[in-house]
Amino acid sequence: MISTKKWVAIIGVILLLSAGAALYLSFRGASGTVANVYQDGKCIYSVDLSEVEEPFTLSVSCEDGTNTIAIEPGRICIQDADCPDQVCVKSGWLKNSASPIVCLPHKLVIRLENSPDSANTIDAVAK
Amino acid sequence: MKRLAAFLLMLVLLTGCAPKQVSTTVFAMDTVMKLSVYGDEAVLDEAEALIHQLEAQVSVTREGSELYSLNHTGSGTVTGHAKELLDRALALCSRTDGALDISIYPVVRSWGFTTGEYRVPDEEALASLLSHVDYKKIDFDAGSGAVSLSPDMEIDLGSVTKGYLSSCLIALFRENGITSALVNLGGNVQALGTKPDGSLWQVAVQDPKNDSYLGVLSIADQAVITSGGYERYFEEDGKTYWHIIDPATGAPAQSGLISVTIVGTDGTTCDALSTALFVMGLENAADFWTASDDFEAIFVTEDNTVYITQGLQDSFTLSEDHSKMELQVITRD
Repeated sequence: MISTKKWVAIIGVILLLSAGAALYLSFRGASGTVANVYQDGKCIYSVDLSEVEEPFTLSVSCEDGTNTIAIEPGRICIQDADCPDQVCVKSGWLKNSASPIVCLPHKLVIRLENSPDSANTIDAVAK
Repeated sequence: MKRLAAFLLMLVLLTGCAPKQVSTTVFAMDTVMKLSVYGDEAVLDEAEALIHQLEAQVSVTREGSELYSLNHTGSGTVTGHAKELLDRALALCSRTDGALDISIYPVVRSWGFTTGEYRVPDEEALASLLSHVDYKKIDFDAGSGAVSLSPDMEIDLGSVTKGYLSSCLIALFRENGITSALVNLGGNVQALGTKPDGSLWQVAVQDPKNDSYLGVLSIADQAVITSGGYERYFEEDGKTYWHIIDPATGAPAQSGLISVTIVGTDGTTCDALSTALFVMGLENAADFWTASDDFEAIFVTEDNTVYITQGLQDSFTLSEDHSKMELQVITRD
């Protein structure tokens, strides 16, 4: 039988830990600068754009071809792709969390994650 | 001490109450879909299965789909969701007096909009294709799902499928006890409830002229569906041809409108009306709205004026960089 005192201690520790985790998560997400790269719906790469110091590129290949992603301090885009429509390249730098860069032929999506603290965040764009 | 334990336990349980957001991205129906729900992740698998099932039934390009075999043999049977969707689509063709016509498909194809191999079709060929366009000649038994088409007719449900699908997804989420969700099917947006904190969803409307937001709608429990000439078009000899075809002429609809957004509780209705009202033009569309009670609308005209229907006065705001645009309110009196 565990004493009430111990229960208090256990629950107290759980509370402290979860409060800490919640604080950490909300602090980390507040910047809204994390870009995730999804291939066929799965997140394959994640980068905090605010922590990028030097520009670099990233190649993502699938059965149908390759996209070259350019990452610079604070921004990300698809620089080059061998897809037929080039929509992903033409869409330029990723602007906000509501308008991801999409390469439909290669099932590739780059999305800026929502910053949960901002009340004025656009949730979706009707088009 | 026991009270303190109980209090702490309650705190732990309370923090566990707020459902977290889970989301998934699905590639289907030639577009990318994002589903976000506040609740259990398992429902997303069910949702994904529903999307692929509907696509397998109503795709016009996939051999073996119910619609493919109907188009290639002239008759067939539609089942389940495909039957319900065809029934709804025909009702909306009739309600819009043919401004929406699901038998326009061969004409749209002749312009190359289904394949991306764009061309202005030869006039004679177009007239011949157009002579077979008439949704009234589709013989459909809503009970059995039996369909027969008149000779040389083919149908496509693309103008209503995503709207129907978003309503089905929202219904699925609701059945699973979810009270907050947002689906975005390639720009067709539908919300369940509000955000978990009770605030409204903020849905931006694309500016038809450039890559910015025209304005923002604050919504709950509604679909927001936009049709615009900018979505798919090509240019030839200095003329722009877009994918929204007027069933009366067989050519891209030149109604003076460049974008129509419909807001309402039923996705199928919103999807169908966004196309139909684009074809009708501002004046007829405004009359159509006056005679209806199940949707609101935003129209953008060629001369860059924004018209909103009365019911959106409090929920739509032009974005900051568009605040100088002329905004007119259409009222019922």
